[in-house]
Amino acid sequence: MSQIMINGVQFEAKEGETILELCKRNNVEIPHLCYHPDLEAQARCRICVVSVNGKLVTSCNTKVIDGMNIITENDEIIKARKLNMELLLANHDAKLEDNELGKVAKKLGVDKSRFDKIQDKTVDDSSAGIHHDNNKCILCGRCVQKCQTIQSVFAIGFENRGHYTEVNPYFNHGLGDVSCVLCGQCTNVCPSQALMEKDYTKEVTDAINDSDKVVIVQTAPSIRGTLGETQGMEPGSLVTGKMVAALRKLGFDKVLDTNFTADLTIVEEGNELIQRVKNKGVLPQITSCSPGWVKFIEHFYPELLPNLSSCKSPQQMFGTLLKTYYAKKNNIDPSKIVSVSIMPCIAKKYEMNRPEMKDSGFKDVDYSLTTRELGRMIKDAGIDFANLEDDKFDPIMGESTGAAAIFGATGGVMEAALRTAVDILEGKDLQEIEYTGVRGLKGIKEATVKVAGIDVSVAVAHGLGNARALMEMVKKYPSKYHFIEIMACPGGCVGGGGQPAPTNSEVVKKRSEALYAEDKGLTYRKSHKNPEIIQLYEEFLKEYGSHKAHELLHTKYTAMNELGD
Amino acid sequence: MQVTKKTEFKGFEKAVNLKPEEVIQVVKKSGLKGRGGANFSTGLKWEFTRKSPNPTKVVICNADEGEPGTFKDKLILTENPSIVIEGIAIAAYAIGAKFAYIYLRAEYEYLKENLEKAIEEYKAELDKIELNIDIVMGAGAYICGDETAIMNSIQELRGEPHAKPPYPVESGLCNYPTTINNVATLANVPLIMLDEWDDLRLYSLSGNLDSPGVYEMPLGITTKELIEKGTPKEEIKALFFGCAGGCLPYDPEMKLDVESVNEKGAMLGSCTVIAIGKSQSIPKICKNIAEFFVHESCGKCTPCREGNFRVLEIINKIVENKADEDDLNALEDLAIFINKTSLCGLGQASNTHIKTALKYFREEFTK
Amino acid sequence: MLRGRHIFDKGASKLLISRLRNIQKKEGYLSEENLKGVSKETKIPITRVYEVATFYSFFNVKKKGKHVIRLCNSPACLVNGSENILDIFEKLLGIKLGQTTEDGNFTLETTSCIGCCDESPAALVDEKAHTNLNEDKIKEIIEKCK
Repeated sequence: MSQIMINGVQFEAKEGETILELCKRNNVEIPHLCYHPDLEAQARCRICVVSVNGKLVTSCNTKVIDGMNIITENDEIIKARKLNMELLLANHDAKLEDNELGKVAKKLGVDKSRFDKIQDKTVDDSSAGIHHDNNKCILCGRCVQKCQTIQSVFAIGFENRGHYTEVNPYFNHGLGDVSCVLCGQCTNVCPSQALMEKDYTKEVTDAINDSDKVVIVQTAPSIRGTLGETQGMEPGSLVTGKMVAALRKLGFDKVLDTNFTADLTIVEEGNELIQRVKNKGVLPQITSCSPGWVKFIEHFYPELLPNLSSCKSPQQMFGTLLKTYYAKKNNIDPSKIVSVSIMPCIAKKYEMNRPEMKDSGFKDVDYSLTTRELGRMIKDAGIDFANLEDDKFDPIMGESTGAAAIFGATGGVMEAALRTAVDILEGKDLQEIEYTGVRGLKGIKEATVKVAGIDVSVAVAHGLGNARALMEMVKKYPSKYHFIEIMACPGGCVGGGGQPAPTNSEVVKKRSEALYAEDKGLTYRKSHKNPEIIQLYEEFLKEYGSHKAHELLHTKYTAMNELGD
Repeated sequence: MQVTKKTEFKGFEKAVNLKPEEVIQVVKKSGLKGRGGANFSTGLKWEFTRKSPNPTKVVICNADEGEPGTFKDKLILTENPSIVIEGIAIAAYAIGAKFAYIYLRAEYEYLKENLEKAIEEYKAELDKIELNIDIVMGAGAYICGDETAIMNSIQELRGEPHAKPPYPVESGLCNYPTTINNVATLANVPLIMLDEWDDLRLYSLSGNLDSPGVYEMPLGITTKELIEKGTPKEEIKALFFGCAGGCLPYDPEMKLDVESVNEKGAMLGSCTVIAIGKSQSIPKICKNIAEFFVHESCGKCTPCREGNFRVLEIINKIVENKADEDDLNALEDLAIFINKTSLCGLGQASNTHIKTALKYFREEFTK
Repeated sequence: MLRGRHIFDKGASKLLISRLRNIQKKEGYLSEENLKGVSKETKIPITRVYEVATFYSFFNVKKKGKHVIRLCNSPACLVNGSENILDIFEKLLGIKLGQTTEDGNFTLETTSCIGCCDESPAALVDEKAHTNLNEDKIKEIIEKCK
């Protein structure tokens, strides 16, 4: 324990702590931009400077030493921070953005720059889900760290040096032309929205205002645990009822729940696993509901494609059923349906555009909006979100279980699948259904579950760097596991590329807790017990893995090479 | 010049007959300071490296001489590469290193062959202490003269510097304790071992002179003594200490030593002196230097990357007589805070020329 | 001399910069095709290879002329007439700074100090230093390279 003086007050510091970490722990405010708790502190932005022995140092990467005397604010420090902020703001619009850069600029009292705007850097719109404007980039390096070190995708890196530095794929390619998997981990940490989601709020609003269209929305499991943050609520606020109410106020004709098809995915995929084990099919079976993960395996491990479950993701299953089952039961002309999804995910914008996603006879999902886009729609409509009265989803694709709720957290799909598979194989209705061994933020989690006399070996990975490591294991030891859940985003969907920014592991933990709390509070906690799912099979699909189920709810994959071509 | 003496590894022979710690003491006692510009005690640096817990040590010879106006290392590498190899070998012996790298700038590639020949010539001696010397080529980046950037470059990454601590002597190349020494520093070492050394500096003298060149003289000579050697072509009005050292008005009686130059706001660094004639335009030279720093900035940190770009914008305005009071104020602000908040020495020194030029030659900027 | 390379653990030194230099010398520039080859051999992701290739001044990812003239623009050369030398080069080659001649023979660029300050103005032509430049010497250089 070291004794440190900050602004004349004595504090006790932990071993190896940085000045910034010590100050954060003790609520001493230091403005900062490039620092991120899950990434290496590279001290690029130079906003977090403090004074130590009369010298300005960056607090994010300077470790405390016993007896250190730190001043966090004086005239010199304020001037230094303001000037560096002015240099960064030069290329941004005068109207301060509602992002980290804008918020820190406001804190520093800098609302304009005396330097001229320069707009000579690359703008890239080649991606299905990401808009990239290098003119807004402050070169904090977070996106490169995420893409290279955490996700091991290496779609982007630094190009050139000095003032001419840009963050880009190699050789003037656009994101759409290289192995970018659209996990969006770059967009949920970009402080200046140089990398951001492609915005479709206008198109969706236009569709809502078009009286000829029936606009129906589905909401992903994790949204109810993260949407509140876009409206100023604390991370981890569970806002299911308010979310539905807000969507109705925005004018969606029907508000349905992706959790319904999350349950559907479980019963179909659980059945698929049982069939593979029975018929000695390809094992381990690997989940396929994360489109960023699917694109990753197509680029980097195409030889393992047979291991992917043939099940579509809940979003896509929903879209297909919406324009067939739902349309029929509600007498709606499917050609008039505009199918919208609210997703934590950038890759969903790519997934819905995949050429094979038309099993309904129409484009199954027309627009996929991120949590952030919905957040903006609610704000722009002037809706007082925090004071909305709770509302409920519409039937017959609005009922869901606790198993579906936890899809949004890493390990959630695995746990949901186990709850159903164990019941079915044992022929029982078990009460012990919390598989805590697959919960939590450890990169790769393993567990063995005894089911009907077999030791079922499972693994869960989140973040593509961990997924890669797990795939190397699978290649080396193909008979080690039976079933694997992979989520492209660290933390699972609660840490998704489309979630409120900035996303980090502290906030992800709180968001997951909201989902596990929801699970505990629901009547049904196992997917196969969902009455609307039971109804769906009785009236439409007939049985798990039926011919119709395969036609509508299962899909194929395409091998691509590492370079994206 | 003492550094062109052919010592033929006799200094090395003497060193290996002492204990490594004794060699360090000899170098420490001599008072040898780094010739790369930082002026840090060489013996002390070796001592820190040797004392670091990790047993694997590395010697890096910094042959990335890039400070404009500096060509003393080039002279040594051209005329006496063997003494440099000998210096590296003694350093390696002293700190206990089995790996050494010569980081040679791309612009000096034509000197590589002679270095390789020297390494080959003394292979037996190097094998005696199990030392392997590799020549790693640079590829055109002034920033790679910086200690941490040179290591990143050898590790085949972008040559960006990173924060210190940790210092290279504790954790350097691939996290091994590393001593990074300038070519000229290492060239002095064999002479120290042979007790044939005088603490002389190699002044790289250039500019509006008839006899520019490398002059071996002690620290503390007067400016007049140095400039006279160079035979000025016209009246000299200013001295630029490279690009990073800033400028001072020509004062014949001023002593050329680190403190005297520092007092006036400039930096003597590696004793680079560019003599500027009366007919030259100081703002034009500052523009040239600002362009240099914009070109060579690695781009990692905001003040150096964005700040120096804006400094150049303003200087261009000044040179075209389009600058106003606000511009000069902005220039001064930038000069101060780029120095105070930049991550590495390049950024920190990149505006010394602005500060000193505005201090001593302001009239040229405002006319 | 590869002995020292094993200080890098797990093959971290894959001689990337050396490979790039060799290709640069042979082909005159670093093409996408060539860098993909380097990436494959070294197992370094192409993005990383490109990051390194675009950082250093002496690596070019765009095709340049057969002979690259790098005129030193240090302050020492500046005060000894490097601007005049630039004018002469531009006039004799018929191109402006930064351009390549139509026959693809010459590219004209400036470079940071090359250490020939006592023999200024100076230039690197194909990485050989030419010093004390004047119009005659420039004509000779151009002739020799044709």
